Amino acid sequence: MTFMDTAFTKPSAPFNKSVFFIPALIAGGGFLFFIILAATGHPEKAWLAYLTNFIFFTVLSCGGLLFSTLMHFTKARWSHTFAAVAEAFSAFFPVSFVLFILLFIGQNYVFPWVGQDLHGKEVWLNVPFLFARDSVAFLILYSLGFGYLYHSLKFRLKTAPQNTRLKTFLFKRFEQSSHDPETIKQRMTVFAGWYMFAFAMCLSLIGFDLVMSADPHWYSTLFGAYTFIKAIFAGFGAIILLVSLLHLTPKVPFTLTPAQLADMSTLFFGFSIVWGDFFYSQFVVIWYGNIPEESAYIIERTMTHPWRILAWTVFLGCFILPFIILLSRKIKQSPRCMIVISSCVLTGLWIEHFLLLGPSFLAHDPAVFPIGFGELIITLGFLGLFSISILAYFKELPEALKINSGEGGQWK
Amino acid sequence: MSQLTFETINTTVLDTLSRPGKAYWCIIALLFCGVIMGASCWAYQIFVGVGVAGMNTPVHWGTYLINFVFWVGIAHSGTLISAILFLFRAGWRNPIARAAETMTVFAVCIAGLFPFIHLGRVWLVFYMLPLPNQRTLWPNFQSPLIFDVIAISTYLTVSSLFWYTGLLPDLAIIRDRSQGVRKKIFKVLSLGWSGRTGQWMNYSRAYLLFAGLATPLVISVHSVVSWDFALSVIPGWHTTIFAPYFVAGAIHSGLAMVLTLSIPLRKMLKYEALITMDVLESIAKTIVFTGIIVGFSYATELFIAWYSHNSIEMETFWWRAFGHYAPEYWIMVICNTVIPLLYLSKKIRTHVIPLFIISIFVNIGMWYERFVIIAGSVAHDFLPNAWGHYRPTWVEGGIMVGAFCLFFFLFLLFVKHLPSVSMTEMKEMIHKTE
Amino acid sequence: MNTDAIIVTGLYNTQEETLAAVEKIQEKGFEVTEVHSPIPSNALARALGRKKSRIGWFTLTGGLIGFFSGFALAVFTSTRWNLIVSGKPILSWIPFFVIAFEFTILFAVLGNVLGIVTQVGLPDPNYEKNYDPECSGSLYGIEVASTPEDADSLRDLLHRTGSLKKQRETK
Repeated sequence: MTFMDTAFTKPSAPFNKSVFFIPALIAGGGFLFFIILAATGHPEKAWLAYLTNFIFFTVLSCGGLLFSTLMHFTKARWSHTFAAVAEAFSAFFPVSFVLFILLFIGQNYVFPWVGQDLHGKEVWLNVPFLFARDSVAFLILYSLGFGYLYHSLKFRLKTAPQNTRLKTFLFKRFEQSSHDPETIKQRMTVFAGWYMFAFAMCLSLIGFDLVMSADPHWYSTLFGAYTFIKAIFAGFGAIILLVSLLHLTPKVPFTLTPAQLADMSTLFFGFSIVWGDFFYSQFVVIWYGNIPEESAYIIERTMTHPWRILAWTVFLGCFILPFIILLSRKIKQSPRCMIVISSCVLTGLWIEHFLLLGPSFLAHDPAVFPIGFGELIITLGFLGLFSISILAYFKELPEALKINSGEGGQWK
Repeated sequence: MSQLTFETINTTVLDTLSRPGKAYWCIIALLFCGVIMGASCWAYQIFVGVGVAGMNTPVHWGTYLINFVFWVGIAHSGTLISAILFLFRAGWRNPIARAAETMTVFAVCIAGLFPFIHLGRVWLVFYMLPLPNQRTLWPNFQSPLIFDVIAISTYLTVSSLFWYTGLLPDLAIIRDRSQGVRKKIFKVLSLGWSGRTGQWMNYSRAYLLFAGLATPLVISVHSVVSWDFALSVIPGWHTTIFAPYFVAGAIHSGLAMVLTLSIPLRKMLKYEALITMDVLESIAKTIVFTGIIVGFSYATELFIAWYSHNSIEMETFWWRAFGHYAPEYWIMVICNTVIPLLYLSKKIRTHVIPLFIISIFVNIGMWYERFVIIAGSVAHDFLPNAWGHYRPTWVEGGIMVGAFCLFFFLFLLFVKHLPSVSMTEMKEMIHKTE
Repeated sequence: MNTDAIIVTGLYNTQEETLAAVEKIQEKGFEVTEVHSPIPSNALARALGRKKSRIGWFTLTGGLIGFFSGFALAVFTSTRWNLIVSGKPILSWIPFFVIAFEFTILFAVLGNVLGIVTQVGLPDPNYEKNYDPECSGSLYGIEVASTPEDADSLRDLLHRTGSLKKQRETK
């Protein structure tokens, strides 16, 4: 307890500037590599890696914030520690939006249907309309997310800030506005509800527009719902990974009890089953119907070399492994084990995004394994960007790491 | 909540088991007549042939299967409330869990009757069982209809066992507080439950596992029901969203049925202190949520039909909304997605009468949803020269009314003879909030 | 425990009183043989030093048996006649999974029920021994074993810890 107190006399104690150095280096390297790859004759590979990572980290951060809104909305009391960390994922929203706009540069590579005869689908699948509607979708989703975060921070920022401009600005606004916890909570509930609604709508749209349409002749009604279920699964996995890392970092005053982690892991376990259910529901209908225009997509991705290796890896990493391992309560309580398992799942989901997009981007060649050195470097670059956003959030708001900050503290 | 004690819970629930009045037996007799009427319609169909029902080319799946899906759907929310909300530790489920579970068991029984009725030659029902015929040819386990047989019978077994397990401690309370024949009966039923610590510990664990197993089961059962349709290639049936969409729809209709049942139940058995307005409000809020999912599914289906630019898909959905069955379609859309939104108003969802009326609308809407999907899709599929309409006959109507009577008949019998609110779970709930 | 030991049952109103009483009785060196309660309590189970429930193993075994027997049934029956139906392979694992899944749940539940029968000890024809009928409805009953010589001090102890009445002393 004394350790915690000293840590908070200096608000930004756990993070000084040097922690940003390595992620920034990696992000810069990834970006550089992307440019080199795009310029040296493999722009489709570079943009495939870009798009995969953009979608992966975007849905991950949206799913992360969803946890906090969901728990607030359902008035769950066990999850406040996680909610505080989950809110940090919203720091990636602005970055994600900029990355989305940058996709415009690569439109000829990002959308394999550009220049194809779409037999009437041009009404929906054309670049200006797509960017217009998806930007609006992102703007709505992110504003609702920030609206929720703004009210949630009212509970977290207690003491007058000393150094940072953003916090001083926020703190002054909070001072002027209403202090009644009930009103703030009610506003949070409204924002949370709309955020979740927008989450389902926007991520369905993103799933249809950026992933499903990569093969413009294929369609599946479940794809939208599958996208946002996957986002929730990925988001929860990322939260588990982050809280376990924070818990194991001695410099950070953030601790978990085994019971808390076990609850969260159980929820995660549940979502791995939900993911499996959605996967199977989509798969079995197409497999059974056996209509060429539908099954070609599945056959290419699950039954031809080299993609089938990836398909099995995904299935193993996202469903079989977590399902079998997480049956044990002991493992669910251990941060170290949960780091391994959530990393497995996140890797699996990353590959899954790559698998959905890849065959539409790359020429079919059974001899070449599609994930190479280049893809990994670019992915690391994105991971660097993502880490910087989260670290920046915690540097700005170390209060989030304090136990019982936020509305949970109000209820104690 | 704080004025409730263990003793008041016992007396409130045990009072409901007192000797029922004349009005009760009159209603029971009336419902029984309804059941007899339904049974006579079925008998008539067996003697004359299945042609007395309105099913004919191209619509071979009529109200019998519509009712089958409808009742399976009703069953689902019972498991949702008793198992899924139990895992999520939602306290508001406790007062209604028992009633909802009972509803599940009866609804699955009634759902299970309809394939029998639909068969026509019902004595050949053993063809569905995993038994070889004289040429050692077995049922085809790739067939969704066989999935269904297995899923529904598993569901019936599991939900009955789950229900009975949950009843055990309550049966012991009745045993300990009654005399004579009743004591003897409950002595047998309660299996000698004595609430020892070791018993409770194993029992709680088993109950948790039960809930954990019932949750994937309930999702799989309605997915399997949806695959009866989705695994074909009929436009309007063959669509990947069907499994989650059917599950959400099932919970939507089931929650509405829980409201429809628990509001009169609360009045009749004086449960106002146990089934509080908060509980009813929480159900109403959940109905809004499931209604939004169902609306999302309707919208996605329409959007993808348009996006696909597949002429047959587009025609199917255009016809669904503006063709021969357009009134049914709009009843479905309005009752399932628009009317439940009224629950967003605090004024409406805190009054019993609007709560009750809206829940009836949702029930009607969900029945029509099954009608639109099942009858509407095959009536208008690939070949224009095979298009046709379906209209139920009086025999089907009679059997349907009989089924509803049977359901309410069983449920009314239940509420006066077994504890319709779980005393044990109520006590656990007040013990936790203390 | 020797043959002339007797069991004294004390009845308590709340779980908190019961827990405190159990601790006190154990402190004094008496053996608490059983507690009857209207609702489950983890704290009581811990105080009595009960081992963790082993029901999960029954369920798991049932589930595993179900999973494999579901597949086995589907595979066995479809290989009796190698008859291709609607262009699906004879051994179509993807639809067979549904059968295997339903069997998993069914057998896991049956295993669970077997677990209840063996672990919870139901049906129990001799339940009435040392059992007070008040315990199912609202009261907590603590069964304590003692020798006839110590019985008086035990009765006194039960009374002091808040027992409503002492009754049902059995040899």
